[in-house]
Amino acid sequence: MIKPACEDAYLIQSKDLRNSYYSLTFGSFSKAGQCRPGHFVHVQLPCSDVFLRRPMSVASVSRGKKEIEIILKVLGRGTRMMSDLKKGDRINILGPLGVPFRLPRRSQTVIMVAGGVGFPPLLYLATEMVAKGHDQALIEFFYGGRSAGDIVEKPRIKKLGLKFHPVTEDGSLGSLGLVTQAVEEYITSRKGTVKTVMYGCGPEGMLKETDELGRKYGIGGQLSLEAPMPCGIGICLGCVVNLRQGGHARVCCDGPVFDIGEVIL
Amino acid sequence: MTPDMKVTIAGVELANPLMTASGCCGYGEELANLYPLSRLGALVTKSITLKPRLGHPVPRTAETASGMLNAIGLANVGIDDFIREKIPFLAKQKTVVIVNVAGSAIDEYVEVSARLNDQPAVDMIELNISCPNVNEGGMEFGANSRLTEQSVAAVRKVFSRPIIAKLSPNVTSIADIADAAAQGGADAFSVINSLVGTSVDVDSWRPRLTNNKGGLTGPAIKPVALAMVNAVYERSRLPIVGIGGIATWSDAVEFMLCGATAMQVGTALFIDPFTPVKIVNEMKTYLKKKKISAARDLVGKVRKY
Repeated sequence: MIKPACEDAYLIQSKDLRNSYYSLTFGSFSKAGQCRPGHFVHVQLPCSDVFLRRPMSVASVSRGKKEIEIILKVLGRGTRMMSDLKKGDRINILGPLGVPFRLPRRSQTVIMVAGGVGFPPLLYLATEMVAKGHDQALIEFFYGGRSAGDIVEKPRIKKLGLKFHPVTEDGSLGSLGLVTQAVEEYITSRKGTVKTVMYGCGPEGMLKETDELGRKYGIGGQLSLEAPMPCGIGICLGCVVNLRQGGHARVCCDGPVFDIGEVIL
Repeated sequence: MTPDMKVTIAGVELANPLMTASGCCGYGEELANLYPLSRLGALVTKSITLKPRLGHPVPRTAETASGMLNAIGLANVGIDDFIREKIPFLAKQKTVVIVNVAGSAIDEYVEVSARLNDQPAVDMIELNISCPNVNEGGMEFGANSRLTEQSVAAVRKVFSRPIIAKLSPNVTSIADIADAAAQGGADAFSVINSLVGTSVDVDSWRPRLTNNKGGLTGPAIKPVALAMVNAVYERSRLPIVGIGGIATWSDAVEFMLCGATAMQVGTALFIDPFTPVKIVNEMKTYLKKKKISAARDLVGKVRKY
């Protein structure tokens, strides 16, 4: 287990990605180099009206420079305040936390299922895989949103050279429908799925569907879950999920990455 | 000179007055990944019941102004697994181990406490007669003088080391309940458990906790806790472990001045798991500046009008 740091970091760049999405890069974080795809950091805002930390998955890191990037969507008070942070503003970061993704073998076809604000950890995973020499032609990156504006960082995803499949519920970009429908069409259009692995992160309904697809077609893989979590390190027991084998798991430290079929979604 | 941080609760010496609060540090394993538990005066485990409990369905925590609500519902591994899987780890830690005991009937408190009496790694027990989050038992015991005395007295017969009675703030007179616990044979009090509260989502009209209500904790409850610590201090000679919204060294000093011999840090661990360690260091600086040689000299020294 990685020993997380609990220290101040400073905003060095804030980018408005439109449609309430922001990319924030924080510097002077000593454990940036140990943040793997799937890890998250627990962010404390420098104000008293947001009491608890906010879990944010890591979207990229710049190891030598001790920088980490998170991409968020403004959904409530905490994310609003984060989007208002100015260059040089201080926040406290506890992390890296959680169990990261297991990287696939290089010969495997990889289906990524990203939904809305769930895409940052998969962006990091895909970036890491490409950097490690995974054949881009084997990476099928499905990314769903309500409409075109919800699909952010398109040039960045395309630049990775993987197979990019945007899906929107209103058809304003890519194929029309739900991302999991597009994934199922892709799976059924292919012959074998033996060497295929699936990774998903997104809203609850999307994760549930992805989990069902995995079990229906015998495709293993991992899902990154989201939950409100006061502590992030396994001591408050506020973020539990039910396991298929019975009992509970804590999303923060037994996850947030779980195997397909492991959790009752 | 380095100030003396040692304090004594019911004959048990603590290296410093800062403990973790029950339900806020599991069984210690997670914090031990961050710092040696010897930095704590004591570790207080999650409430242990006779049978394992999964607790309430999520959502079982909710953020509030300067605090949070929880209705975890005493999720714990149960006494069998606790002894088998958690005690060996706790026995190796160089800190005082306090096991919190909960139950839904006096017999359950007695049975769990009797099992813990056979475990030398357990230095003390803390009786949770004040949990607001279980329907049966819990707070019911601690809200009634007669039941408080009966449950403490029953446990007293089977547990030979110190018993701390954890008192509920959800009562008319906490000092009366403290008297009853002392009558039953308690050696110390921890003051206070969480305050009953709720929060409602105005879109769905649903409470933010599946249990409909929960326990309020965090800095929001500190003034209430301080007043209750002082009320118990003025009534009883037994030592008090102060709890309620402690997040900084000055919070801890306030509790000592109001009568606490030791303090527990709960919710603040969720924001910064290093909080008790930081408080100990910063309290030393404060004591040096004030030219006070021992932390225990602060106990009860509030200069009231």
